[in-house]
Amino acid sequence: MLKKKSSLGRQKIPIEKIPKKSHLQVTFSKRRSGLFKKASELCTLCGVEIAIVVFSPADKAFSFGHPEVESIVDRYLSRNLPQESSALQLVEAHRNANVRDLNAQLTQLLNHLTIEKKQGEEIDHVRKARQMQNWWENPIEELGLNELVQLKVSIDDLKKNIGKIASKCMMEQSNMFPPNIGANGFGRYNNFENKQGVGINIASTLPNAYNYLDFRHGYL
Amino acid sequence: MTRKKVKLAFITNDSSRKATFKKRKKGLMKKVSELSTLCGIDACAIIYSPYDPQPEVWPSQPGVQRVLNKFRRMPELEQSKKMVNQESFLKQRIEKAKDQLTKQRKDNREKEMTHLMFQYLSGGNNAMNNISMADLNDMAWLIDQYLKEINRRVEMLTKNSQGQGQIMAPPLPMLANGVAKVEEVGQGSNNGQGLVDMNMSMNMNMEVNVMQKQPWFMNLMDGGGGGGNDATPPLGNVSQQNGFWPNPFFQ
Repeated sequence: MLKKKSSLGRQKIPIEKIPKKSHLQVTFSKRRSGLFKKASELCTLCGVEIAIVVFSPADKAFSFGHPEVESIVDRYLSRNLPQESSALQLVEAHRNANVRDLNAQLTQLLNHLTIEKKQGEEIDHVRKARQMQNWWENPIEELGLNELVQLKVSIDDLKKNIGKIASKCMMEQSNMFPPNIGANGFGRYNNFENKQGVGINIASTLPNAYNYLDFRHGYL
Repeated sequence: MTRKKVKLAFITNDSSRKATFKKRKKGLMKKVSELSTLCGIDACAIIYSPYDPQPEVWPSQPGVQRVLNKFRRMPELEQSKKMVNQESFLKQRIEKAKDQLTKQRKDNREKEMTHLMFQYLSGGNNAMNNISMADLNDMAWLIDQYLKEINRRVEMLTKNSQGQGQIMAPPLPMLANGVAKVEEVGQGSNNGQGLVDMNMSMNMNMEVNVMQKQPWFMNLMDGGGGGGNDATPPLGNVSQQNGFWPNPFFQ
């Protein structure tokens, strides 16, 4: 069983100019982001003021500054003393509060992301195990012609049966509620157009009574 | 290197804060330096702290001067395009995380659906009774996608097998029973009924033959699908490219 790694992980590299251009570009992107992150943390933890300016391999200027790049750069270049006023302090306090909230929001998102990734891995794992027992669950590229034909027949049949269920579902639906016929005769079910990104639509358009089993959460 | 989880908030303890500052400042400077060397680019850092009237800089005073001059020479627009502060930087990261989350959820949903599809394939009808309307739609979409892929692959394989003419599919038993006959296999764990005996296990509170009374639904089904155990002709209707729901969703 081949274990595919999503990334190489942390590898030690020598600190000298990266020879391969694409590698260099990727490294710049990632490290710049990490650098700004570290700078931001330093500002929050220790209440200091920082400005960082870096030029990309394509000579674009990226800069991070707390409270602002401009004020720090001006201050440095003109050797002026920082201006403190109660108004500025108020603005600063307000900003810091925002930053706290944003940080909390980001942390929560990243946690959700980690959970979803784990779920994804589990599903993959289960699928791989099933593939050992069920030949038809293997990737299509790995199936032979006979198998494909046979699989197709079964899936065609499944499709028919799903269609039958759908009919009954819709019928029951329209018996319970006054019909709400739209352009192509399928009423409120046109709302499948609420696409979220490409492909799979997640929104359910039925009133709760008809979610017999919310398997999205329940069945794995 | 000790790894204590640090709360991202101002450190109120003075000595602790100063110690943290020293360490992290050093680390930050190192990171700037590495970035500059690894990528062969110009960079500078300026840090003002309460511990020193003079700012700490990298690479050096003249070095910083040079980089800042280069920066300031650029048109204003170019300077501010990629300029961030804490707030804007965090907002960027939040957007990115949201996108990643959406994508991951979508992928997971598709995987779950596929899993479910295979369960239906081998498990029989009971599993299908409790599907919700929203899931039905997604399932229909997935099934169509899968069929498309299968057809594509079959076409490719038949093209390559140099003019063997029509594919002769042997009269195929249902998958549930047919597993044992295939070479490579598995012990199928599917003693469930075949897929076709829908009517008997339908759990809905409706008359079973309601379908036959409603011509309205005929366009939902492959031509001529009444209830009951129709034997499926091999290689049925290959050209069901648009799915069977008149739905812009999966064109």
